[in-house]
Amino acid sequence: MDGLLVIRVRLPLVVVLALVVQTAVLDRIRLVGVAPDLMLLLAIAAGVAGGPERGAVTGFLSGIAIDLFLQTPVGLSALAFSLVGYVVGMIGEGVLRSAWWIPLTTALVATAAGEMLFAMAGAVVGESQLMRPHLAAVAAIAAVLNAVLAPLALRMMRWAVDGTGSAAGAVRGGAFAR
Amino acid sequence: MAVYRRPARQRFVLLVLTLLSVTIITLDQRGQGANVIEGVRSGVRDAFAPVQSAANAIASPISGFFGGAFRYRHLQNENARLRRELATARTRSLQVGSIEGELKSLTALQHLPFVGNIPSVTARVVATSPSNFELTVVLDKGTGAGIRKDMPVVAQEGLVGRVVQVSGRRAVVLLLTDPSFNVGVRLSRSGDVGVAKGDGAGRALSVDLVDPSTKVGHREVVVTSGLQESVFPPGIPVGVVRNARLRAGALQQDVSIDPVVDVRRVSFVKVLQWTGSS
Repeated sequence: MDGLLVIRVRLPLVVVLALVVQTAVLDRIRLVGVAPDLMLLLAIAAGVAGGPERGAVTGFLSGIAIDLFLQTPVGLSALAFSLVGYVVGMIGEGVLRSAWWIPLTTALVATAAGEMLFAMAGAVVGESQLMRPHLAAVAAIAAVLNAVLAPLALRMMRWAVDGTGSAAGAVRGGAFAR
Repeated sequence: MAVYRRPARQRFVLLVLTLLSVTIITLDQRGQGANVIEGVRSGVRDAFAPVQSAANAIASPISGFFGGAFRYRHLQNENARLRRELATARTRSLQVGSIEGELKSLTALQHLPFVGNIPSVTARVVATSPSNFELTVVLDKGTGAGIRKDMPVVAQEGLVGRVVQVSGRRAVVLLLTDPSFNVGVRLSRSGDVGVAKGDGAGRALSVDLVDPSTKVGHREVVVTSGLQESVFPPGIPVGVVRNARLRAGALQQDVSIDPVVDVRRVSFVKVLQWTGSS
């Protein structure tokens, strides 16, 4: 199958599946009231697996999907997640990743940054309640939970945006592997 | 599919997506597109309703089984305690019945709404918010059962929150602990009024605008005031005072209250069919 067609079929499939898990399962699995943010993790994993462009597109799709279930304005998560997906992809471009801890650290840092970005973007458009005193703690816990789920998300995203679905995609040095 | 890298194209994609997001945010907040977006939201929510119900059906017996097996002794004790409490409560309710009748006739005389008279819809909590940034729960009933936006939601003991979004088969309730939640309250002993605000999950609500000269008692019950066409009818218990203090030179007291309902554990609620204007 053509590479782009694979993405067009598989990516929405993964986003919808993640949405089901996030809204129906993860809402009850909380650590001190904080749940992992699977939709943000998808954007990060897509950035790692497929580069900045696919990271941004995945972030936009997963963000819009979760926005429909939130009270904050639609498009807020899409904005934050697509930026995170893009930046993760950009930073990851030059890195030849063979160490197992690099995707974990990426998920940890990028999740914390993404949650902060979401709250700040929300504050800009008038949702000032998002900037709470314990925002940093929420971001940190979500980051740890996302890091735990990162290997799974990365595997799914390699299948969805890279078409390999295996660790072989891990040594993707950049453009020539795509 | 790109064979060579095109950074310009990547930047263009990011720019387009960013502008698209900002446009959608603007439309949702103030444009004519709000109705369209609200329609999409409702549609998606209803489409996901069966999935949520299925997840509930699978998850609750599993956790129920393990909970029951490991906490058998505890459940036995709890059962005994509940039986005792029920006996006491039955006696109490007989006494309260007569007082309630009196209160009803008095409030009717004053043309005030009485919470006990307001028709309500009982609904089950099927999900909580998928986000870490808002405290909401999802109910298994929507406009089909007569639920409308801004209706107050209560559990047996008191206030839970208010309906902020409703679709055909689902309603989203903003919990009173959410930082964006406000409710006009009245201190039951002094009758002084203030505004209670949520401060996050598991934290006490803070009450603003309480006069420095008011005597606030420990564990004093705080109820909704129902003032000025409020979203909430008067007299619904909101919380009990945890502490109150007056800092030197302050124009109001710092009062914090614990909600009477544990919103994290509530599983059945009543939606009062009451809107501010009625």
